[in-house]
Amino acid sequence: METGGGTERRGGGWWPRTVALLAGGCLALMVLCNAEVGRQGGVLWASLAPHLTGSAAALLLVTLLGARWRAPGVPRWAFLGGLSGAATVMLTSLAATSALALAGTLALGLAGQAAFGRAADRWGWLGLPRRNTAARDDLGLALVLAGSGLILWGAR
Amino acid sequence: MIAAALMALGAGVLVALSRQVNARLALGSSALGASLWNHATGLAALVVAGAALGAVGGAGLRPQGSLGAVPVWAWAGGPLGVVFVAAGAWCVARIGAGPTATLMIAGQMLGGAALDLAAGAAGTGWRLTGVGLILLGVAAARR
Repeated sequence: METGGGTERRGGGWWPRTVALLAGGCLALMVLCNAEVGRQGGVLWASLAPHLTGSAAALLLVTLLGARWRAPGVPRWAFLGGLSGAATVMLTSLAATSALALAGTLALGLAGQAAFGRAADRWGWLGLPRRNTAARDDLGLALVLAGSGLILWGAR
Repeated sequence: MIAAALMALGAGVLVALSRQVNARLALGSSALGASLWNHATGLAALVVAGAALGAVGGAGLRPQGSLGAVPVWAWAGGPLGVVFVAAGAWCVARIGAGPTATLMIAGQMLGGAALDLAAGAAGTGWRLTGVGLILLGVAAARR
């Protein structure tokens, strides 16, 4: 390994990887929940409702667990991650009604997400450290994206 | 079609951008704190956007149907999102944005396929091949 600390340096261990995988599963459940709210309340409420209950839940958890929420010295823009999340909902619902349909929209969205993550690691975007990506990571990404495409189009 | 494709790609980029920004915030606070800010600012933006749309003649903040008809379980979307956002910020700081995106996509697709099967969807050959490729991808990205 050419990187100083070997696999550990690239890695970060199996625990964060397991968390990321499980959190992805949470997202699948979340999509199901929000779609159900949207069926009753419309597209705005599909996003408004989880932001309401999510804000309440996060406030409760931060209070109960005593997690740090103040962030002195952090640049102001770092507080605006929620704006980009809220805008995602609008772009997705616009694109899904086009000729792309839902499968195409989701597949392109996954590709966009992965490409940004790869580039952010490579160039150390937004105040986070640069990371060398291993060929194995790219192989994993290619396999996951190919499999996602098959599932999305196979479901039609 | 090209405009729609750019919007779909852009939506994915925004997901990763949000995760990266929240990871930066978590460095100076905590993953859960970043998730709280994420939800609070998103909520404020949606309320403003909804009110603005209402002012120009849209439905505004009023739900289209009856929110009372929403089943109780569907309100769990918010708390699940809190876990998802906090986990994203936490993972990016530890394994980087690339592997985080790969594994979260894998978890989302596998979870979605499992939910579809549970709802009675047919386990077609394409889908099962897709699940197999994703599992191989997870194995390749391990450690």
